[in-house]
Amino acid sequence: MNTSETSQSIHEQIVTLLPRLRRFARNLTRNPHDADDVVQIAVERALTRLDQWRSDARLDSWMFKIVRNAWIDELRSRGRRDKVFLAAEAGENVGTDSMARETELLSVQSAMARLPEDQREAVSLVLVEGLPYREAAEVLDVPIGTLTSRLARGREALQALLGTEGEDT
Amino acid sequence: MTISDEILMAYADGELDAAARAAVESAMREDPQIEKRVAAHRALRRRVQAAYSVELSEGVPESLLRAARAAGTQQANVVELQDARAAIERAASRARPPRPQWRIAGTIAASLIAGVGLGFFIWGQTKAPIMRSAGGALVARGQLAQALSNQLAAEQSQSSAVQIGVSFRAKSGDYCRTFALSGAVSPSGLACLHGEEWQVQTLTQEPGTVGDSGYRTAGSALSETMLKSIEGQIAGEPLDQAGERAARQRGWRPMDR
Repeated sequence: MNTSETSQSIHEQIVTLLPRLRRFARNLTRNPHDADDVVQIAVERALTRLDQWRSDARLDSWMFKIVRNAWIDELRSRGRRDKVFLAAEAGENVGTDSMARETELLSVQSAMARLPEDQREAVSLVLVEGLPYREAAEVLDVPIGTLTSRLARGREALQALLGTEGEDT
Repeated sequence: MTISDEILMAYADGELDAAARAAVESAMREDPQIEKRVAAHRALRRRVQAAYSVELSEGVPESLLRAARAAGTQQANVVELQDARAAIERAASRARPPRPQWRIAGTIAASLIAGVGLGFFIWGQTKAPIMRSAGGALVARGQLAQALSNQLAAEQSQSSAVQIGVSFRAKSGDYCRTFALSGAVSPSGLACLHGEEWQVQTLTQEPGTVGDSGYRTAGSALSETMLKSIEGQIAGEPLDQAGERAARQRGWRPMDR
């Protein structure tokens, strides 16, 4: 009974996580179509490996890790790990906000897209997804010191790209 | 005092322990430059968060929702099915009002309607009680939605257009309630509160019983279809009167989320 109850609620928890998984995947892939493909693969994988999820672990971290691994596998099979997508695509869905806000979103997102991959991952997990350092390091499979130095460099680069405008909004 | 940028960043991210936090705070008081650097870290964090917050309100593609929900039905738990069924039936009879309820127009075969057109949902003179949402889910509206949110089975008036039957907590954590609509066609169904919406999971046309003098009792005689869908979803026992009231008070929000 318990296993069935747990797995049932995990399905719905994953549904709740989907928007964040897509967002993280977009930051990884810099392409919304790839992002949805990767999330789909990751969700399918996660569901076949539910027994590997420790219920005391955070489901979001676990899923982020699976998304990331799915993307790494995808790149390997495509053999184009370093292919850079146009940042413009990342800003495709900005809704009906005012021009100023839209410009702000686009500039932050395109600055993010220009970060080296390791920094982008760190910034994406900590600043965008709000994971604690320890969780983010776990997702990326690196020591916490590596995570903080990537994060610091990513932040520095973003700050340089973005300047200080918009800071007071 | 010199403090590395990584420490200031960790401070801005709330990652330092109490001692390190105190050290940074005293340095900030002494040196406005340090305070400024911390402020810059915080501002950047806010800015990045804000730039990505819009994405969360985007609709998720149906294919992803399907993927996430797939295999959820793979292993229906049939243990203690008899007990569960008995408990559901007890709850249904508790919800039964004292007098015969609605008229059934003849005997109608039970039918699960999945892809039926919206025409079915036109109900009396009022607005359709069930609509298909943009995401494809059937969602309770108007009077039906209100009854699902507010009406208690134990206290409902038998003249209400909507009769609530059994309420329970589903394995997903959501609360679900069975309902029956009055009228010439009187479908009954099962709806679960998902987010802000009561999503109709099952809708059936209950059979009338021969020799029932054209009347049927609300809440009783759940059809096989309804019982099956309740059994597929219920976690534990149906809510009793107090449980129903408590759940309503919380707005049918899951307790542990």
